[in-house]
Amino acid sequence: MAAWTAGLMFLAAAGIPLSLLWDFSWESTVGVDRFWAPAHTANYLAVALAGLVALRIAVHSTRTAATRAGTLRLGGLHAPLGAWVCLWGALAFPTAVVFDRWWQSAYGLGAGIWHPPQILKAVSFFAILTGAWLLAWKGQNEAPPGAAARAAVAVAGIGGLILAMITVVMLPSLYPNRQHSASFYKILCATCPLVLVALAAAGRRRWPATVAALVYTALVCVMVWLLPLFPAKPQTGPIYNALDHLMPPPFPLLLVVPALALDGLLRWWNWPAHRGRAWLQAGVAGLVFFVAFLLAQWLFAEFLLTPDADNRFFAGGGRHWPFFLKIDEASRSIFWETRADELNFSSSVAAVGLAMLSARVGLWLGHWMSRVRR
Amino acid sequence: MKRLLTPLLWLLLPLGALGHVGSPNVFFTGQAGPHTIRVVIRPPAVLPGVAQVDVRVATDGVTNVTLQAALWEAGLDAAPAPVEASAVAGETNFFSGALWLSRAGSFSVHVNVAGGGGSGTAIVPLNSSATKRPAMPPLVGVLLVALGVALSLGVVWLAGVAARESVLEPGTFTGPHERHRARAVAMGAALLLGAALFAGKTRWQRMDREFRNNSLSQPQPVAATVRSNGTLRLLQITPSAADAPGGPAWDTLATDHGKLMHLFLLREPDFDAFAHLHPVRRDARTFENVLPPLPGGRYQLYGEVTYENGLNRTLVATVSLPGSAASAVPQLMGRSNLLNEAFCASAYVPATNSAMPVALDADDSWHVGAASATLVARLMGGYTMQFLTAGEMVENREAALRFVLLAPDGQPAALQPYMGMFGHAVVRRTDGAVFTHLHPVGTISMAAQELFARQARGEAGTATNGLAPVTTPTNVVHDVSFPYAFPRSGDYRLWAQVRAQGRVLTGVFDVRVIPAR
Repeated sequence: MAAWTAGLMFLAAAGIPLSLLWDFSWESTVGVDRFWAPAHTANYLAVALAGLVALRIAVHSTRTAATRAGTLRLGGLHAPLGAWVCLWGALAFPTAVVFDRWWQSAYGLGAGIWHPPQILKAVSFFAILTGAWLLAWKGQNEAPPGAAARAAVAVAGIGGLILAMITVVMLPSLYPNRQHSASFYKILCATCPLVLVALAAAGRRRWPATVAALVYTALVCVMVWLLPLFPAKPQTGPIYNALDHLMPPPFPLLLVVPALALDGLLRWWNWPAHRGRAWLQAGVAGLVFFVAFLLAQWLFAEFLLTPDADNRFFAGGGRHWPFFLKIDEASRSIFWETRADELNFSSSVAAVGLAMLSARVGLWLGHWMSRVRR
Repeated sequence: MKRLLTPLLWLLLPLGALGHVGSPNVFFTGQAGPHTIRVVIRPPAVLPGVAQVDVRVATDGVTNVTLQAALWEAGLDAAPAPVEASAVAGETNFFSGALWLSRAGSFSVHVNVAGGGGSGTAIVPLNSSATKRPAMPPLVGVLLVALGVALSLGVVWLAGVAARESVLEPGTFTGPHERHRARAVAMGAALLLGAALFAGKTRWQRMDREFRNNSLSQPQPVAATVRSNGTLRLLQITPSAADAPGGPAWDTLATDHGKLMHLFLLREPDFDAFAHLHPVRRDARTFENVLPPLPGGRYQLYGEVTYENGLNRTLVATVSLPGSAASAVPQLMGRSNLLNEAFCASAYVPATNSAMPVALDADDSWHVGAASATLVARLMGGYTMQFLTAGEMVENREAALRFVLLAPDGQPAALQPYMGMFGHAVVRRTDGAVFTHLHPVGTISMAAQELFARQARGEAGTATNGLAPVTTPTNVVHDVSFPYAFPRSGDYRLWAQVRAQGRVLTGVFDVRVIPAR
């Protein structure tokens, strides 16, 4: 895959979580949710770009016997697996949009938020990111020594985009006020180790999981810092929180800490070669993820709710809320659901269990992706 | 991924509720300061959505019309900035604007009119609620099924091909092992996909059920029973048996035209008997009314109430009244087969043991007789009522339903105010799909309007019964008109009620509304 093709694919893939964060901010600030709202348009463009790049790869791969060699055939078209997955996502997305348009005209929001077209839309986003990731892995697996570094960075970078996508989907559950609750740790333990462990176990070069976590952090930070620069105000009511600029999303999670620990554990630890090695690795990796993430995020969340975090850099202090959310002053800077959803011994065990399972799937995924040649 | 925070918002949403049946558009005629305005609001059928607001101003020189929607619970302070209604090209003194409504509830639309000799604001109550039953157009269904099949096949193919070839070196070929593995993985993927589709279908069905039960605005079924108290028949209205004991209650109602409930009885199947009653609230779950001498038969009941937050609801029930038409009111049927009388007798309370009120409300009225096939209805005492229409009735086309009462000498009779208004009208589509109660000010609840006006003035408290003083107009009028647009084509019956010489007279008309071209 040519460098510019890879660059465009990375741009399209990055555009998806970025436009969704923008959309989140837009709907929290302006509220009027039209089909061609700027953030929606950016989202459509990102998906369209990913689909076009994947199509370009397919057309290019079909041309000659040499380009067809490392591809999969469907009808008269040849393309790598990643391009096919991207194309599937690019077809699933307009399907979800048609379905969603009808859904909005039939139910509005009166039937709930996570409705079938919304789920299909999320699936299509993940498919496009997975397709881009597969293309990057294929590139890494085929890379000549001279291009190995760039290919490895692409794998880690798109891994970071997938981390961003996971946190965007879960955004309402990841607010700093929820970061002492059991659910928060369970959600993160069930999802993030999959990506981080796959990278730590199978990425090339040094610190792939850490690079992915840094890409995620940078991406979200850009939105935290940029969005509040744009004036905007609610256009529908009731307005419980007055806003005059786009609301920033919450500061990114400190995933870089468990990512560092996993890179260290899986890349630098000398694991014995025996039959149950993968399960042992997954068990230890799951536990390490939980402990490292808990230590870092627990303390960081406390800081984010203090007045010291009430600045442009951290966008914390319990000050940034969607205009429509009726929330009393006292609840803004305290932790919620600490009793009903307490992080105690049993919920911690459950979170560790989820992290171990997620890590095991991550190991399998990394093992497979590091061998993808088509 | 849209509306990521709205799960939080969702918890705050009240259940949908709407006065009237099948007639969601709001019509209002009134004053905005010195300006007489006519407002039509077409609320969105689902939420969030856009409410289209049209404002016609009777005075010239108006330069600016703004619109602002405020939710009852939040008040005007939490409303977004007013939006400007723009002048409609080619029209005079006609302005149009759009308001984005994000949720269900009781809203007040503040219409501010400036220029042309002053400025002023009118408050138009608006119930925001989902009103449309979900239905998928066949073309969309076919398209989605086709795309769904393609995507499903794609998933199975991708799983199989990934298992078969993805890790093979370029130039090498698949062996039996890869092919077996691919088949197994494809089958596994198909099973997983089937399970996911089944889960999606189940979720959709559950969401649809909850939407229809909780979000979709629909009339509230109640129970209506008739019991005897001596020689009187008492109609009792309670929540339906399907409602839990802690269910709907009527302890937070506001008075509209001085009444907590306006109840309409229509006799099936010809709707030749009609009554407009005002039941008395016995407790939070019971209303009662003495039945006037209506002929026996099965009646449809429509009760209209306004809550203290400005929301209207229409209660519906059916009830069977014993007796035949002839036996129930023989002395009043007479040769004309018309009965039209406001029963204004004072309360009749047995001195012995009953504390129940056993009198009709002074404003109760009823009518027995066939509808007029023409635009002239013969009424009691030699009166006639003319329905003055300007041409044919077209669905969704705004029209003033105008009526004039002629005295026996053929001259227009002076109308007397009746519950603070010069007229009341009821519109019902023959199939029952549309039912609404109109006034000369439009379809709005004046109780809701008064509640919002009090809120805007910062007056605390919204006492249930101390509200909406019935102001009696003192001017002399000879005709009455009701702003309205029939929401659907079809056959309708209209009941127009006016008072003359202390007597409430009801004219009944059948009209045909043609589809818009």
